[in-house]
Amino acid sequence: MSDALLRFADELGSSGPAEVAAPVPEIHLVTFTLDREAYGVPVQRVREVIRVGEITRVPQAPEHVRGVTNLRGRILPVVELRSRLGLATAAVTPKSRIVVTEAHGRILGLLVDAVLQVTRIPADSVQPPPEDILTPQADWLAGVARRPDRLLILLDLDAVLLLQR
Amino acid sequence: MSAEDNAFRELIDEYVVECLPLAERAADALVDVERRRRAGTGGDELLGPVKGWLHTVKGNSAMMGLTPIQESAHALEDLCAALIERGGDDGDGLLALLVEGGGLLVDQVRGAAAGGTVEGATGWLARAAAAARGAANGNGKAADRRRSERRRGAEADGAANVVRVDFRRLDTLLEVLGEGLIEQAAVAEAYRRVARRAGSTPGLPELDHAILALEKTMKRLEGVVMETRLLPISSVFGRFPRLLRGVAEGVGKRVRLETSGGETAMDKAVLDRLGEPLLHLLTNAVVHGIETPAERRAAGKPDEGALRLAAVSRSGRVAIELADDGRGLNERRILDRAVELGLTSAGEESDPHALIFQPGFSTADRVSELAGRGVGLDVVAAAVRALGGTIAVRSRPGEGSAFLLDIPLTLAIVRSLIVEVDQERYAVPIAQVAATVRAEPQALHEINHRGVAVWRGGLIQVTDGGALLGTGARSDRGRRFYVVISSGGRRRGILVDRLIGHQDVVVKGLDPSLGRPDVVSGTTILGDGRVACILDPVRILEQRVPA
Repeated sequence: MSDALLRFADELGSSGPAEVAAPVPEIHLVTFTLDREAYGVPVQRVREVIRVGEITRVPQAPEHVRGVTNLRGRILPVVELRSRLGLATAAVTPKSRIVVTEAHGRILGLLVDAVLQVTRIPADSVQPPPEDILTPQADWLAGVARRPDRLLILLDLDAVLLLQR
Repeated sequence: MSAEDNAFRELIDEYVVECLPLAERAADALVDVERRRRAGTGGDELLGPVKGWLHTVKGNSAMMGLTPIQESAHALEDLCAALIERGGDDGDGLLALLVEGGGLLVDQVRGAAAGGTVEGATGWLARAAAAARGAANGNGKAADRRRSERRRGAEADGAANVVRVDFRRLDTLLEVLGEGLIEQAAVAEAYRRVARRAGSTPGLPELDHAILALEKTMKRLEGVVMETRLLPISSVFGRFPRLLRGVAEGVGKRVRLETSGGETAMDKAVLDRLGEPLLHLLTNAVVHGIETPAERRAAGKPDEGALRLAAVSRSGRVAIELADDGRGLNERRILDRAVELGLTSAGEESDPHALIFQPGFSTADRVSELAGRGVGLDVVAAAVRALGGTIAVRSRPGEGSAFLLDIPLTLAIVRSLIVEVDQERYAVPIAQVAATVRAEPQALHEINHRGVAVWRGGLIQVTDGGALLGTGARSDRGRRFYVVISSGGRRRGILVDRLIGHQDVVVKGLDPSLGRPDVVSGTTILGDGRVACILDPVRILEQRVPA
């Protein structure tokens, strides 16, 4: 253990928590676009991003499910994120991607228009959305982050993936 | 630290895998001894093996430091010895103690990961120790001697050729096999394309040959892999006697469960999902089917109700029959209730035996009392259907009921016909395909806005595949074929565009996010890597398809 680290440990031990200069907390996001806006989901929940292959429709599947696709031998259900968020559906383009998320041992794909980047933003740049725009249907809205170049709409993945309304 | 934890976890898992069946077997045998002693038909000869199983459980528990379990097994052993010593006389309630302790032991072993402590174990132990002391009085040395003899015997019968494998590995093996089958289908498809284009080319016949040979080998490999997954159905049946004893006692009835065909082998994945519906049916039979001893005497039946659970395998499926000699279904009441619920109308001719499986029917608890059948037959039916099986009931008033289940032996790989409807491909399990027919326009008719075809001298309804599957395309004219699906005596034609061919498909489940479609039971990956849905003919045939 280095001396610096030991000193740091001593400091921690001797001072109250309020006096420790906390590092600026950051949120690690995968960002993508749907229609004209940019969205973000926590990178910890994203397993990978894949190109859109053949998607097979499943008869009688819920409204927001586009179908299933073959992810290296596993069956990946693909959610039509546009329709889930109340946007008009659009055709798959060469820029379309599937964001593969993982939760409770299950994998689910989100169909998005294009993936932007993996980025870190300071946690304090996130603010709640204006009260006036909230509706009961918008349970997926976790917050809005103001970036120098654009607004980022943050999604609550658990709410997004609860497909039955 | 966590590595150590894992190692311990693994050891405990192994311990449970080995000891739980032994404890269960012992507990079941003790129930049997009690029943047979009561009926005056012996039973004591079972005590020898029981002591052997208990001894192994005790030894393994001691090795794992599971003292509470070790003590229970030891006390049970002593009680067995005392009982043998006493012969037919059970004045001390030794048997009741044994049966109670057997149940405790099973619970303890099952909860071994948590240390094996179970509520009531300490109290039982004290009572057992007192009873054994009183009974065996002075025979301790003889018991010790017998025990040491048994120990020597147990060491000799190790099965050197048996390897224990975690079932998850077999699942992985099956997955890899599935991928192999998909790749094999892909190779065969590519070959056919090349052969069509190139015509006769040197080397092609050899390739054809090699592909056929590969197909055969894969088929054999599949057979071997499936075989490793099979377990005798007795592994499920075995739990029932003990569970039923408790149920019967609770409602003041006496029942005897006879099982046959326990050696019938089924895929463990199927068995794991079969236990609960079967137990539900058995419990229903005890609670609602079998009468009280007094009622039975009045009806001229023996006091003890008889339940029969039989399994027979036949060509890839297993038929299970569960019969009781109780009062039978009250058809009048079932029909009345169905009318109340709007499931049928008063004048309509309805089969009461089919109505009880209707969703929502049996949830009304009045029915469970009046009709002689309990809550949740619709739940049982749904579980059976989820396994790709069917369920039916036969019943005669006053003589009893019999539930007939037909379950596929395995879930994993299903021989299917691949069809195409509006550019979408679907797999139809061959087991439910009665025929494929070219759709000649002059043989198709429309009666009451529904399609009807003349088929094999009779009339069957023919449904458009696109409408059934909601493809969105509006072209029920010009489909070239129909597939006749059949199950439980019902038949229906489904119009499709193309018949692609036969293929063994590896069944993959439906993620909950896909809802609960009525027309498909799962998905699979085809030779070209695309996903296809697997049709569910059994459920399609249950639906009244609109025009």
